[in-house]
Amino acid sequence: MPLSLKIAADIGGTFTDIVMLLADGTVAMRKVPSTPDDYGRGVVEGIQALVADLKLPASEISEVLHGCTVATNAILEKKGARTALLTTRGFRDVLEFRRIRVPRLYDPLYRKPEPLAPRNLRLEITERVAADGSIVTPLDEADVRRAIETLRREKVEAVAVCFLHSYANPAHERLVAEMLRRELPNVFVTLSVDVLPEIREYERTSTAVINAYVGPPVATYIRNLETSLKRAGIGAPLLVMQSSGGILDAATVTSTPARIIECGPAAGVIGAAYQAAVAGYANVIAFDMGGTTAKASLIEQGRISRTDEYEVGGGISLSSRLVKGGGYALKLPVIDISEVGAGGGSIVWFDKGGALKVGPESAGAVPGPACYDMGGTAATVTDANVVLGFLNPEALAGGTVPIKAQLSRDVIARNVAEPLGVSLHDAAWWVHVVADSNMMRAVKAVSTYRGRDPSDFVLMAFGGNGGIFAVELARQLQIKRVVVPPAAGVFSAVGLCVAEMQFSQSHAFLHRLSLLAPETINAALDGLAAAVLAKLQWSGKPARTHRTAAMRYVGQAFELPVDLPDRPITAADLRSLAAAFEQEHMRTYGHRSADGSDVEIVAIEIVAAVVEPDAARPQPHAAVPPALPLPGTRLAHFGPAGSHRTPVLRRAHLSERPTPGPLIIEEYEGTAVVPPGASAWLDHASDIIIDVGP
Amino acid sequence: MTRNISPFLLEVVKNALDTIADELAIIIMRTAYSSIVRDAMDYSTAICDAQGRTLAQGLTTPLHLGSFFDAMQNLIAVHGDRVRPGDIFIFNDPYLAAGQHLPDIYIVSPIFIGDTLEGWATTVAHHNDVGGIVPGSNSIGSTEIFQEGLRLPLLKLYDGGVENGAIWDIVAANVRVPDKVVGDIKAQIAACRVGEREFRALFGRYGAATLRDCFEEIHDYAERLARAEFRDIPDGTYRFTNHIDGIGENPEPIVFNVALTVKGDDIVIDWTGTSRQIKAGINSPVPFTKAAAYAALRAVVPSEVPNAQGFTRPITIIAPEGSIVNPTAPAACGARGITGFRMIDCLMGALAQAMPARIAADGNGGATIPSIGGFHERRPFVFVETMMGTWGGTATHDGQEGVAHIGANQSNIPIETIEAEYPLRVEQYALIPDSGGAGRFRGGLGIVRDFRLLADEAVITIRSDKRRFPPYGLFGGKAGTSSWNILNPEGPGRRILPVLLTQPVTLRKGDVYRHVLAGGGGYGPSLERDPELVRRDVILGKVSVAHARDAYGVAIVETTSGFVVDAAATAALRAQMATAA
Repeated sequence: MPLSLKIAADIGGTFTDIVMLLADGTVAMRKVPSTPDDYGRGVVEGIQALVADLKLPASEISEVLHGCTVATNAILEKKGARTALLTTRGFRDVLEFRRIRVPRLYDPLYRKPEPLAPRNLRLEITERVAADGSIVTPLDEADVRRAIETLRREKVEAVAVCFLHSYANPAHERLVAEMLRRELPNVFVTLSVDVLPEIREYERTSTAVINAYVGPPVATYIRNLETSLKRAGIGAPLLVMQSSGGILDAATVTSTPARIIECGPAAGVIGAAYQAAVAGYANVIAFDMGGTTAKASLIEQGRISRTDEYEVGGGISLSSRLVKGGGYALKLPVIDISEVGAGGGSIVWFDKGGALKVGPESAGAVPGPACYDMGGTAATVTDANVVLGFLNPEALAGGTVPIKAQLSRDVIARNVAEPLGVSLHDAAWWVHVVADSNMMRAVKAVSTYRGRDPSDFVLMAFGGNGGIFAVELARQLQIKRVVVPPAAGVFSAVGLCVAEMQFSQSHAFLHRLSLLAPETINAALDGLAAAVLAKLQWSGKPARTHRTAAMRYVGQAFELPVDLPDRPITAADLRSLAAAFEQEHMRTYGHRSADGSDVEIVAIEIVAAVVEPDAARPQPHAAVPPALPLPGTRLAHFGPAGSHRTPVLRRAHLSERPTPGPLIIEEYEGTAVVPPGASAWLDHASDIIIDVGP
Repeated sequence: MTRNISPFLLEVVKNALDTIADELAIIIMRTAYSSIVRDAMDYSTAICDAQGRTLAQGLTTPLHLGSFFDAMQNLIAVHGDRVRPGDIFIFNDPYLAAGQHLPDIYIVSPIFIGDTLEGWATTVAHHNDVGGIVPGSNSIGSTEIFQEGLRLPLLKLYDGGVENGAIWDIVAANVRVPDKVVGDIKAQIAACRVGEREFRALFGRYGAATLRDCFEEIHDYAERLARAEFRDIPDGTYRFTNHIDGIGENPEPIVFNVALTVKGDDIVIDWTGTSRQIKAGINSPVPFTKAAAYAALRAVVPSEVPNAQGFTRPITIIAPEGSIVNPTAPAACGARGITGFRMIDCLMGALAQAMPARIAADGNGGATIPSIGGFHERRPFVFVETMMGTWGGTATHDGQEGVAHIGANQSNIPIETIEAEYPLRVEQYALIPDSGGAGRFRGGLGIVRDFRLLADEAVITIRSDKRRFPPYGLFGGKAGTSSWNILNPEGPGRRILPVLLTQPVTLRKGDVYRHVLAGGGGYGPSLERDPELVRRDVILGKVSVAHARDAYGVAIVETTSGFVVDAAATAALRAQMATAA
């Protein structure tokens, strides 16, 4: 029996994916229907089913890894705790004002989302701390006691505390926490300084309120899931994915639940980074395309990009987008994923000026594309792909979703080809190309917008539709190689299996580099490191740390992360830090300050990760798939590259020698298209490698 | 449409151009130094064709829509054949360069493919200071543009790739915060360079002939889409009158009169009857007047009209020369933003008659802009904030609170950032109960903010409005409450300041400046408001029990289980109020 047997459960809207990574790297998988009344039930049933498939005793499982949607759903469905907020007197409406800017230009009918803590539960406390941490007005404890009475009377379940400048001096927040915990032991308490000790009051308040709001439902969910697992004979520890891509023990997650929001897409990127390392690629754009959206994320020198400018429930989140304010600001490290509304179900339509548009409206799972024959009357991207011959004309998803190809041809002819007076195949091809141009925006948002050249990267495509669009997308971006990893259709669950145990924390640290003494930053780093490492102590394993400083020219508002050496900082280090910052500024923005502008550190951050032995890091490879009939060949249409009778293969039919396109590689959970001019081969890590050609 | 451009290719190229324009905007946002650029996002970027017509705009400020067209036409007319690769132009002057006002500095660069000029990368950003008689360079009290700061006609900052150092020196010598202004100009240059690189890549992919056809088609498409939308607006002439309170201690109302005529798919906006230009810094150069019209019309049409020049073809604007909406030199215009907001508010009042379901009643009227400047610990500081905002009620919901004006999607500056960077303490930032205009759907509440000066001394100038003429209600809804500027509201030395200060006022250490933002207008008769919504407002502390009774005829009583509506008392009260009215 293997030393470590990890089983992962990733909850999606329709299916819960259960994946087990066996010690030899084999990915065993099982898709079970999600159970929205109690998602944990589907998880436990799925695990039991997979374990039974493999004839393993449940007691052999060493870790249960979980990507859960409970925190996100609590916000999207407004089903979080009854949440109160305590603020500095005069500032209870900061949460409601947000940053004033609205997410949509030119829309007088725009409506803001309701604050997660309603105004009558936002209570003001007399106290004031200045920007330098000095106390201007001492905390009025009588005020706090009155507030506690109100909270008791209003039966609140959670309370967030955010006082001005608490990142500089948390004394007042801590005093209030003591009183709250003493008087209201059953109320979930979140201090802003605990979740985000950084400057900018709205972002800190909002993050603290989100944490409080999702705290009770997350705690209940995790407690119930742990109980059900135990009852099913699975005594292994439950580990939960964070949106930063690291996994954490259930107890820590329960105290900082805001860290697990939107962790599903993060797991896919983690899987991509892991697989890239196995296959030997340092620079990768992870590209994940499913039914409604396409997502892109950058992996550079093996490192994942993170951002702290996330909004929950803000709709589709194009990284770096200009207009923010649509959702609830969450300023915690999340993997920087850019998303556009382009998936298999995206609907093709014409605007009033006659322009052809694809998405962001989606036909969803119901009625779905026209070819599903469930009443869909809109032409979708999947219908175009059926017309082009890229998708199996009989059934999708390894035969589980039967389709009627004629319905796709009818709808593309009726809705696209006839109004424009073009041939059916031209119409379908151009739908495909326009969808590609939408997705390009997602990829550019994480690459060129940040000063990176996509042609320095390979494109790793996963999700049900990733492999269909990847080559065309790569060609437009001058990317030369596409990688379709094994188990691409359940890749988030694979990512859970290979994720590291990780915790990160940043802290405000506003210092001009020219005035900074090494001992000042060393003391701050040591304090932060102790706090971060404490969160990983439960694992009983050694951990490594990675330290960065968020830096900018004095006067700028946005910071760039710069690596710090993992040892005590010397005066020489501080000097080279300025140069490192300037280099990063040059790389990202194409210029640096010529006049020797002073550089400052705004915050320091430490990421700590548990070091696993190599034996615990197998190379994932596809399990022998369920036997699928081999369709042989079919006619496929590649636009200007012509129509070709195209061989249809399985992954296992490829070899280390390149097979020239056109080819279609059909798998249980996804399809990869290799157009003419491109060629495909299999690398040592069972990736399909597509050299895109000219 | 003889051009052989498929709708698919058009969409693909359009997507690519939008992506470039956005990329430029992101570069400026992330590299800019001054808070007005980085937090207020008062800047725009565009990709133009060879004729200087906007193809795609990275919009962050709605009132910059169309702002490149007049300037680029002027530049091409003046420099014509002398434009060459490696040039970067700088300008800001409304009269000499068709700019907007002096703080808006344009940086634009031609893009050559081979020897042929194929397009332009263009940027405009509102700079913290360009000199003149007050910090921030937006003095209401200026009577001529000569008092407003550094005037830059069309100049080559780079001539064929060679930097003109003299211009940098002149700029740095004439502004109060040279590091920020120079840093922001450099951010604009960086954006132009990226624009050039990406535009070139596009030509590499599709070729010049195809793209030139595509560009023409983009303009035609934008025009088609705009016309399709305008056809849906009922024909007619819709008139509306709105005001700016006026200047200084004894303000004379400034009148905005608009007649908006929809005929088929053409729209004529006629400002005849609007006040003459005035000897104060709020005159709106005609490019800005056009931008206000474009912004208002875009806001009321449901389609995502692209920000391409063709969108403006169906729109004719009549702005009498010498009026406040088309001033002649040397009229001052540093603080003309307020006039842009008021033009939009006035146009919305007219459009409400044509499309009552597409607009909101009047809001707080755009940003109140205090500029507080002085020396602290022997270093100069200039604090400028854009304070917004609240909207009026609509046909379906209450006015939004904590939102930017439709004309300027600007952000607030975090209080903690203000206090970390300036000798100021913010002492409250809060909604004002009962300040929203009553209506079936209530106007949004006004917002109050207090600033205390921690430096020994400073001067303040303020641009605000809507005291005498508060935000209007629609279809029976009431106006919102008025705005106020108050010095030391709680203490000795209390003093009401004008809405538009012509002279800076000196602040001493410990003085408090309070701004009270106007409340939004209501929509529909207040007696038709659902009593449950009134009760909810009372619970949230947005409406008092007294105001619920007086303005809405809803009797709310507090019981042990909270606030409840007394249905019988409400019916009686409403019947009585209906009779009285």
